[in-house]
Amino acid sequence: MFQNTKCECGHQNHVGTVLCEYCGKPLNDAEDANEPLEMRYDGVARKSQKANPSLIDKVWNFFSSVKIAVYLIITTLLGATLGTIFPQESTFINGDPSTYYEKTYGTIGKIYYTLGLSHTYTSWWFVTLLVMIGTSLVICSLDRVLPLYRALSKQQIRKHMRFLTRQKVVYQQEIALTGSAEEWVAQAVKPLRRRHYRVHTDGSALLAEKYRFSRWGPYINHIGLIIFLLAVLARGIPGWYMDQYIAFPEGEVKRIPDTNYYLKNEKFTVKYYKDSELPKEMQGENRLIAELYETNAVLYECVEQCDDPSKKPVLKEVTRHNIEVNKPLDYNGFMAYQTDYDPTLRLRSVKPEFRNKETGEVYGEFQLEMRDSALSYDVGPYHLELKEKYLDFGLNEEGQPVTKSQEPNAPAFLFLITGPDLAKEGELYFYFPLQIDKERFDQEALNAKLSGDFAKKFEIKVNGMKNVGLSTTSFLTIRVDSAMPFIWVGAAISMLGLVMGFYWNHRRIWLRFDGKQLTLGGHTNKNWYGMRSDVANLLKQMNIEVDAKSLDNGGENR
Amino acid sequence: MKSLLDFSGDAFLAAFFLYCLAFVFYVIAISGKMWKKSDPAAHLKRWKVISFTTSTLGTIAQITYFFTRWIGGGHIPTSNMYEFMSFLSMMIMVAFTIVYLIYRTAVLGVFAVPVAIIVMAYASVFPQEVQPLIPALNSIWLKIHVTTAATGEAFFAVGFAAGLMYLLRTVDFASKTKKAVRAQRWVEITLLSVLIIIGFIASVFTFRAMGYEAVFKQTIVTVDSQQQESSKIEEVKYKLPAIVAPYDSETVKFDSFLGMSKPLFEAPSWMNGANAGRKLNTVVWAVISGLILYGLLRLIVRKSLGAAIHPAMDGIDPEDLDEISYRAIAIGFPLFTLGALIFAMIWAQIAWSRFWGWDPKEVWALITWLFYSAYLHLRLSRGWQGTKSSWLAVIGFLVVMFTLVGVNLVIAGLHSYAGV
Amino acid sequence: MKNSRRIVQIVILLGVFILGGYAIGSAVFKSDDKPGRGSEPPAFSLVGLDGKVHKLDEYTGKGLVINFWGSWCEPCVKEMPLLEKTWKAMKDKNVEIIGVNVGEDELTVKNFVGQFGVDFPILLDKDKLATKKYAIGPMPTTYFVNSKGKITDIYVGMLDEDTLEERLKQLN
Repeated sequence: MFQNTKCECGHQNHVGTVLCEYCGKPLNDAEDANEPLEMRYDGVARKSQKANPSLIDKVWNFFSSVKIAVYLIITTLLGATLGTIFPQESTFINGDPSTYYEKTYGTIGKIYYTLGLSHTYTSWWFVTLLVMIGTSLVICSLDRVLPLYRALSKQQIRKHMRFLTRQKVVYQQEIALTGSAEEWVAQAVKPLRRRHYRVHTDGSALLAEKYRFSRWGPYINHIGLIIFLLAVLARGIPGWYMDQYIAFPEGEVKRIPDTNYYLKNEKFTVKYYKDSELPKEMQGENRLIAELYETNAVLYECVEQCDDPSKKPVLKEVTRHNIEVNKPLDYNGFMAYQTDYDPTLRLRSVKPEFRNKETGEVYGEFQLEMRDSALSYDVGPYHLELKEKYLDFGLNEEGQPVTKSQEPNAPAFLFLITGPDLAKEGELYFYFPLQIDKERFDQEALNAKLSGDFAKKFEIKVNGMKNVGLSTTSFLTIRVDSAMPFIWVGAAISMLGLVMGFYWNHRRIWLRFDGKQLTLGGHTNKNWYGMRSDVANLLKQMNIEVDAKSLDNGGENR
Repeated sequence: MKSLLDFSGDAFLAAFFLYCLAFVFYVIAISGKMWKKSDPAAHLKRWKVISFTTSTLGTIAQITYFFTRWIGGGHIPTSNMYEFMSFLSMMIMVAFTIVYLIYRTAVLGVFAVPVAIIVMAYASVFPQEVQPLIPALNSIWLKIHVTTAATGEAFFAVGFAAGLMYLLRTVDFASKTKKAVRAQRWVEITLLSVLIIIGFIASVFTFRAMGYEAVFKQTIVTVDSQQQESSKIEEVKYKLPAIVAPYDSETVKFDSFLGMSKPLFEAPSWMNGANAGRKLNTVVWAVISGLILYGLLRLIVRKSLGAAIHPAMDGIDPEDLDEISYRAIAIGFPLFTLGALIFAMIWAQIAWSRFWGWDPKEVWALITWLFYSAYLHLRLSRGWQGTKSSWLAVIGFLVVMFTLVGVNLVIAGLHSYAGV
Repeated sequence: MKNSRRIVQIVILLGVFILGGYAIGSAVFKSDDKPGRGSEPPAFSLVGLDGKVHKLDEYTGKGLVINFWGSWCEPCVKEMPLLEKTWKAMKDKNVEIIGVNVGEDELTVKNFVGQFGVDFPILLDKDKLATKKYAIGPMPTTYFVNSKGKITDIYVGMLDEDTLEERLKQLN
């Protein structure tokens, strides 16, 4: 279709232009049209509006359409709701998703899982939608911001009459001028400046403009969103992202997989609310509500012998921090968060003494760790050799001693003891640190069988609770996320754009005299109410009383 | 300290009654001119001052409640449903006051104030005692996140009120064309859903006054990390007559109600979240009492509620309403973005180690945000004005309410406060 | 002017296409870090009962059976004789069988090995690092890796003669 884009003022406009880029006259203007003009992007052609679109243009045009953008937003919105129907796979640590949904929710659950909705937010279609939104953000913005920038940076002061009368805020009146029109215009500058307008005059024509920067708000917002999305994508860069959930029993130094860091939970404390601190309705129910829990953590870095598992790594302390919920450890972006805890006390170590039962003489004590137990101990003149160890003692079907789990629920130790007055090859002695196990497995009878009289004379025994080491377990989330700074920068830019775009509005007032006739047009991108009151105020200052509402030329509110 | 909390409670009550009074005054202000002999303009002017003063006093009373409770409780009162909802109602009043000061339209009070009243009454349904703070909630970002988000949502509420007013003003209730009938029906459904919330509040308070209680023992089966099933028996207390019993439960105690002495149904097995049966029962009650209320009102006015309200809106410029609705949303949107998304992300990053985890509440905040961005794009770039835009403002606030209430009721997640 | 605009368009579309493709691609082919059939087994470096460090590399070119076990796990203990027997039979057939003990002390493992007469190589994963990499849940879990270094199967539970036989066939 042929379209004449040359304006009567002689300016040659781009295809798709609505208002002459130079004088503002509506192109393709019907004489009787009076409704307010389409002022979007100041009537200039968007980048995508071209005469003969090629394939690339067509793709470009697709993504540059706001209509498509809105469709994408709505589709994403609807898609996102699907993922909230049932819990997502990522939220449960235990359990097999393939059976969980059917087991819990029946047939609907099975369908939900089969459709892949159990991981909606990482599904190909959802990610595709997000990518398309990102694309639309880039192209929509580029398509509009450049022409808009051009239009706003070369504005004419004297606009075409039809441009003024077809604004949404219009005032046209014969003025009883006391001086020249130029003087009237010069007087109008002051009240406008007081309202923060930048005023340009051209003889008897005037252009007042304020807060143009608010026009860039949406684009700055979009740039922020793009940075945000790119930052999320950047997590795929090797080494940028790590997420682990690790149990740290008190007192153990544990290596963080895939790093050179070791972390030790020196002490874990949990403080519960006292019964009297709870609301009345909760009192007396023995409720344990944690007020605070923290892990006194020490972070080590391995400096030598790190990758040789046969050697003990050399560790260097790099930092220590009391990790609380909301107060993570942060060492150069290596983060450790308090996530959970297991208050169950587990046996960590005992410090028993080796003594003579008959005389009561104590030969000495020794530190016996449940994990990584040392293999030999010297106690006074005696030497103890650890021969066997069972953390959770039990007997299998064949009656052989076995351990039933990895937890020190019922630890048992078999020592070979040598020393003065003992048989040369030594004496075997079974030791159960926990009193309950001693009785359950009948330690005395067992030892009597193993070494006869020895066990009647000697014993290994813990003297008091102070020699028993118990520990709880703290669960920490270990995280590295190098994209975070970019995420925050993106969010901040986006927010800046929103504030610029929504809390300020770009307002322009044009006026011109034709003889004694004043014609005034006003335009804003938002908040017509404020626009009208600005114009009414200006006219009032110039001794013209008008009702702000009467300035409205009808049409759409934006 | 206790006395300060008592005083705080009094201020809350005072605010509630002042709001109710202000609502009546706003109604007088706009409708008085129809039956008063005196000069309508003077009447409007006088009553505008009276009603705005009353609602402002109410807002001040509620702000007093807020700060005294903060001091008395030792932490900012936004950590449970009661505190959050009353904060939201306070912010709705603040947002209303701001918008009122810009536009000075009394009619906005007729709709915005009741929204605040309903939210406030809804808050009172929840246990009011100051509860101990769990460690995750003990963060400065909680205060910032919740308060900013609620402020944004409060502006959406004002946008909703103005949007609904626009519809009541412009929908042609006399017309029988297909389009008009459809609009009438949807206005009616919107009003009905507001009544369902009122019905819910009313039924909770009625049965609370009656001291109603039913107790069930429910067997809850959980699967632990070793794939071992273990079951434990939990006691579930109902404060509303149990139409729906918890899944797999036994009645322990059941106060009879209107001859009903045992539950009529049992909740389906997949509703096995915390107190799912009780929540379902609550929803059933809300719908029933909402329908009863609606039926009663229909009996009184003898026409659809929309048609009954419509004449009161005569003489109000619909364009003003459209502009107010849009303006409120435009003010609320950046606040909502900041509070419900950005601050929420900062807090989540500190507390849970990830800024975004697709938790249902997070997703619904995002959905709300996407919805309002669609609204803004449609309005700014595609010229959706007036009716279309008002519908979006109404639906948008329903999405907000679902995010705040529905998610807690229906979907359990990290954010779920204790429910009724 | 017109040309440069076209170039900008193409560059942007291309950039979007590549980044978007990457994003979608990583969603579709997401390796949730768990090794699966057809993938390469994660590298490890563990001390054996022989006191030497063993790495995955030293088994390249051979069929490899990696059995994760613990002395407290009854089915693990029960399948030990079968693994021992198979190891002896397959030693010269380019198939290696190794056992990875999950988290126990050397003493416990040594005693166990002595008690049950296990001769095939046992590696110790005291820190459970390899266990984590191999995403071991219930035990025993046995990985089968063919001579090309690809996982052919992951078997969770106790192996019997037939199931083992069948899987060994796929290794070469």
